[in-house]
Amino acid sequence: MTDSALATNPASETAASAAAPKLAVRDLHFYYSGFHALKGIDMDIPEKQVTAIIGPSGCGKSTLLRVFNRIYAIYPKLEAKGSIELDGENILDPGYSLNRLRSKVGMVFQKPVPFPMTIFENVAYGIRHHEKLSKANMEGRVEQALRSAALWDEVKDKLRQNALGLSGGQQQRLCIARAIALKPEVLLLDEPTSALDPIATSRIEQLVEELKSQFTIVIVTHNMQQAARVSDLTAFMYLGELIEFDRTERIFTKPGKKQTEDYITGRFG
Amino acid sequence: MSALYLRRRVTNAVAMTLSMLATLIGLAFLAWILWETLRQGIGALDLKLFTKVTAYGEDGGLLNSMVGSLIINFIGIAIATPIGVLAGTWLAEYADRTRLGESIRFLNDILLSAPSIVMGLFVYTIIVLPSTALTHGNTTFSGFAGGVALALIALPVIVRTTDEMLRLVPSTLREAALSLGVPQWKLTLQILIRAARSGIITGVLLALARISGETAPLLFTAFGNNYMALNPIDKMSSLPQIIYQYANDPGEAMHALAWAGAFVITMFVLLLSLASRLILFRTKVSHD
Amino acid sequence: MPATEASIMSTDILEQRSRRDARNERLFRWLLKGCALIVLASLLGAAGATLWGGRDAFGTFGWHFLVSSEWDPGNDVYGAMVPVYGTVATSFIALLIAVPISFGIAVYLSEVAPTWLRTPVSSAIELLAGIPSIIYGMWGLFVFAPFFADHVKPWLTSNLGNKPDDGKLSWVAEHVPFVGKLFGSDYPFGASILVAGIVLAIMIIPFISSVMREVFQTVPTRLKESAYALGSSTWEVSWDIVLPYTRSAVIGGIFLGLGRALGETMAVTFVLGNAMHLSASLLDPGASIASTIANQFSEAAGLQKSALMALAFLLFVVTFIVLLIARLMLRRLASKEGR
Repeated sequence: MTDSALATNPASETAASAAAPKLAVRDLHFYYSGFHALKGIDMDIPEKQVTAIIGPSGCGKSTLLRVFNRIYAIYPKLEAKGSIELDGENILDPGYSLNRLRSKVGMVFQKPVPFPMTIFENVAYGIRHHEKLSKANMEGRVEQALRSAALWDEVKDKLRQNALGLSGGQQQRLCIARAIALKPEVLLLDEPTSALDPIATSRIEQLVEELKSQFTIVIVTHNMQQAARVSDLTAFMYLGELIEFDRTERIFTKPGKKQTEDYITGRFG
Repeated sequence: MSALYLRRRVTNAVAMTLSMLATLIGLAFLAWILWETLRQGIGALDLKLFTKVTAYGEDGGLLNSMVGSLIINFIGIAIATPIGVLAGTWLAEYADRTRLGESIRFLNDILLSAPSIVMGLFVYTIIVLPSTALTHGNTTFSGFAGGVALALIALPVIVRTTDEMLRLVPSTLREAALSLGVPQWKLTLQILIRAARSGIITGVLLALARISGETAPLLFTAFGNNYMALNPIDKMSSLPQIIYQYANDPGEAMHALAWAGAFVITMFVLLLSLASRLILFRTKVSHD
Repeated sequence: MPATEASIMSTDILEQRSRRDARNERLFRWLLKGCALIVLASLLGAAGATLWGGRDAFGTFGWHFLVSSEWDPGNDVYGAMVPVYGTVATSFIALLIAVPISFGIAVYLSEVAPTWLRTPVSSAIELLAGIPSIIYGMWGLFVFAPFFADHVKPWLTSNLGNKPDDGKLSWVAEHVPFVGKLFGSDYPFGASILVAGIVLAIMIIPFISSVMREVFQTVPTRLKESAYALGSSTWEVSWDIVLPYTRSAVIGGIFLGLGRALGETMAVTFVLGNAMHLSASLLDPGASIASTIANQFSEAAGLQKSALMALAFLLFVVTFIVLLIARLMLRRLASKEGR
């Protein structure tokens, strides 16, 4: 019992940050075509911090992330049970509209996926669906998003060019700009640097650092050093279960569980 | 060297020679057909081909047939493209792995090779007969009916390429758009179809190549016309139809005109298939 | 955090937008589905229209329509036997020629030819598939049929047929059953069932060979390599490994070619001679369903028109079944690959 209390609420150790969690996951189970992929996950993700989820491939870390904005719902035969509360409202409730959820929870994927349109349109496309803005306002909004994604200086002269002409790292920052242009509250990053070179990777990591003052960030990564570098909290998952969830420095220096230690020290995974 | 080993080697050598021979036979017939079309076609090329209508017979050209072919093909493609693209989109995006979707995909493949003359009779029944009855015989056969018949031939080609090309679009693109809260219909129309655009255009060009040589479905729909017809509700001549008519004529001069028409069609079709290949090739290169 | 006026309003707007999106989504789905159903409708429509158009012929002649070889517009009596026989015979000859040649081409292009030669040769063969069928018809009528009449037919009639020019029966015509009848002809022109079959064969070779080549490429390399490692020759690998592995798809490809051959109009109409009588000889002119319709429909009326529609219905049903088998066979390999 003490264990699970610890796992559920790492913030309890630091009494000062005992505010309500941004995302509260309760007894979350996930199934695809009969396979039990997530087994009773409980975790509280605090606001405006970076939470990393690590674990060996197939442990369910990406699956968990994909439940947070219900993107899994586009495929048949997938089912989530339990609850995830975003500011106290259960987003798994069918009455919680996808429109609303996705305007609040943005996502960036493993591989950069720019839309087949101009750089400007890539960012404006999502905004246009949620808000009606004047031309000037839209331009301001796009610039703001590109600046936040640390891409503005590189693309300001070629906003009308096709986004497919950008480098991989630039494309990924464009995808981040596209996501934050909607002013979401939570930003989900699914192994955002796995397809990028080291230089592009460090730019993205820097960006994550800058963005956490505005957004609650959840990042899935297969790269432990990355988790250690960018996150405040780290969750370790194994075979669909949440093994340990704590302050990052604690996970990497004094893990509470044998499995976590084995994984961190590279004995499996 | 054992007898068995020798026999196996001889068998192999004979079989390999035969396979090469088969390829040579295929290529020889291709060369023969193309050569005759070029030789006889170029021999019959003449300026009056493009300036005079078929009403002058031996002294005429094929102007009205070429214009008719363009109009009928245009109608066919204009009808088949939106329907085919939307139907292919439904198969790829909305009905993948549903029973109705699988059945329609399957039946579409059958329609792809269905006898075109039957399609002509179908359109005769649903368009030519009703329009004859409604207008008391003023409008019977028409360029429009011919266009509809060709649309039915082009439709399965466009459906199939759209379906295939959309299924090649990575699902991450769908996820990225949906994660922005964009509804699926917008995602489909504004992103997916755009991402698969060059493949879909290739399909349309292939469909155009396919229908521009079709003769059988036009015989009882557009019928034919010795004078220039621009209004789609009139009877309309077309290149394949005039080739068919002239080739069956006993006059040598008519045969020459038929060859000239055959040459024009063949060049048109070959250029189209070349263009579609180039488009596909170019996009493949730029994606890598 | 107290719910401010603004956030309530924006929630309202979001809900409104959700409803509008849902409605648009439904409309869009129906539009797409409607377009897809047009595919279904055109198949059903083609069958229905020809059956409806042929109802008088079916009603007047009943089953007799299928077995009667009489086609007499003068007395308004029609039977499907002659065009049905012509369709089946030309398609059968076409397969007999096209299948081995296509197999040879596919083996050559996937196993034998040097790599640099494969793409240009297969593109050239596929070019053959793109040539409109009316071009085949013209080439058949003006080039191949006269060539056949001058150089091939005389040899066939005098060495195999029962009606040789000099009146002296060859040994084959005398002693091998049927051959004499099949190749006997005193008709001087090239247009005939055999020539139509040959032209059809050239037309369907690219279809069959490209299907075969495609499916041969699906055979796992390790399977072929392990056979080569045992010392098998190229021919043995093709015949014993590749062909059995791809059998159902190869049959599918052949049926696809058959479907094309059965329904082909223009390539056949030009070189078949359009004679509405039954002859055992392959060197005599005949008629196919498609050629009969192409030739007679414009001038037909009444019962004759209905009989032509009935023929079209038969053709459609038969090709539908053949193509159905083809697609099912091709699908089997696809599902094997998926596994």
